[in-house]
Amino acid sequence: MKPAEPWFGERTGEPVALAAHSSDLYADTDYAAARREQGEPGPLGDVAPGIMKPPVWTWEIPLYFWTGGIAAGSSFVALACDLSGDHRSARLARMVSLGALAPSPPLLIMDLGRPARFLNMLRIFKPRSPMSMGAWALSVFGGLGSGAVAADVFGRTRLARSLGAANAVVGGYLGSYTGVLLASTAVPLWSRSRLFLGPIFVATATATGAAAVNLVTPLKPLRQVQAGAMAAELILSVINERRLGRLAAPLRRSRKMKTAKWLVNAGLALQALRADRIASMLYLAAGLLFRYAWVEAGTVSARDDEAVSRAARDAAGDRGGRTPGSD
Amino acid sequence: MRKGFFTDTSVCIGCKACEVACKQWNDLPADGGEFRKGGSYDNTGALGANTWRHVRFVDMHGGGWTFMSDVCKHCTHAGCLDACPTGALIRSEFGTVVLQSDVCNGCGYCIPSCPFGVIDRDHDDGRAAKCTLCYDRLEDDLEPACAKACPTDSIQFGDYEDLVEVAERRVAALHDRGVEDAYLYREPAGGLGAFFLLTEPPERYGLPADADSPLQQNVVPATLAAVGAGLLAAAGVAAAFARARR
Repeated sequence: MKPAEPWFGERTGEPVALAAHSSDLYADTDYAAARREQGEPGPLGDVAPGIMKPPVWTWEIPLYFWTGGIAAGSSFVALACDLSGDHRSARLARMVSLGALAPSPPLLIMDLGRPARFLNMLRIFKPRSPMSMGAWALSVFGGLGSGAVAADVFGRTRLARSLGAANAVVGGYLGSYTGVLLASTAVPLWSRSRLFLGPIFVATATATGAAAVNLVTPLKPLRQVQAGAMAAELILSVINERRLGRLAAPLRRSRKMKTAKWLVNAGLALQALRADRIASMLYLAAGLLFRYAWVEAGTVSARDDEAVSRAARDAAGDRGGRTPGSD
Repeated sequence: MRKGFFTDTSVCIGCKACEVACKQWNDLPADGGEFRKGGSYDNTGALGANTWRHVRFVDMHGGGWTFMSDVCKHCTHAGCLDACPTGALIRSEFGTVVLQSDVCNGCGYCIPSCPFGVIDRDHDDGRAAKCTLCYDRLEDDLEPACAKACPTDSIQFGDYEDLVEVAERRVAALHDRGVEDAYLYREPAGGLGAFFLLTEPPERYGLPADADSPLQQNVVPATLAAVGAGLLAAAGVAAAFARARR
């Protein structure tokens, strides 16, 4: 009987079951289960509990990944509409983008341990920290986006277009940095996906952004964009899961991930039947589930001491480092 | 001058005086004693926001225990320091990594960025917290509380270069006495400011075999891939619209 998996973001420090042999405590992690299936012996003998701490982020963060992604994706659509001369749709896309962005800062502030100190995020500018760069990108994106919508409202079309174009550039970072943020942690599942997380997240952002605009104003090219971006996301995910092997067990086992993939496939089938707007809704739901699945799977991966220790040894091997106590 | 800790597990008796001294000096709340909380006969659990020294009990399965007083490693390549978006985490004049609690807003990014699971966010306080290597005591030329309290000198404090020399001599002495498994756990993360003498593989103490700042390792390649994909996506959307117009 397996114990229920802890909800991610839950307080750490739960009591550990007693066992005669400490390695038995970790026999039922995803990683160890996958290893047993392949009939391999344990690589490290005993691993003491809790090598690293899982993230403490709660439900707000994956939800923000989703809203921020939609905002970034629809800023791409706004620019493309302007470039192809469809200024009415560009205006709507800019509004969708701002609408999706609006809940993002409150979500992020709610997740802080000390919400009143949220402005400390803009205290320094630190290129090395994706969290710092993300806070700045979100601020600039919000400023440009509101400016563009205001310019639209007051009939300053040229100003609105140039602000919108600038926003699409910032959006290229806003839609992808969330993947970089996760990839730059010590969580094995995330850091070992470092070249895939950004592209996967930007594909989800593009697809959900296009889907959101498509629900407001159906446009023919948006059908291709949402289908293409979602298909790219699916393909990248499958490739990444293959190359990660056992490390991807929490992703493969995630019910949210399975549902998301099913929704994408259903959406693609519906688009073949020309039910594009229903497909848009499915893609939006799939995008949300993808975000939650990635964050939760990372938390499971960080709790999996055997996965963490094996990833550390693999990374050391990649760097050509010497590891003590290995055979 | 860089200061550090040399923790020699070969003489640790698991008395947890360091934990008590740390909690007293730094005014840290108890986090609930519980029989066998941290496995084996360890009743205090793990390093966390309110436990800056933790003595781990490594059960040798019939061969007694090995004890290890774990602490923040004050890494040369510190993941938490690289991650911090507010500048709350700083490198002090003693070469240590110190969290300024009046700046931290509790974003939590330092927590998964530490490969050693040291820093954590207190649920009630909302801010991250970890060992400061007793920054306030160092300013007054006092040694950190844990090192002061340690009855076997398992925890030694001093100038970093001196400590490395002491530690290397100790390893050589143990090798001479036939303890051939003794080695220093000092190389990860560009060099650990607080390092350890171990006699078992690192994982048995809950330490990764190797580590580096995950940000220094991953930010550049991950950002290049991400921004490249972002540009490609924006170009793809524009191309789809341009084609539809024709």
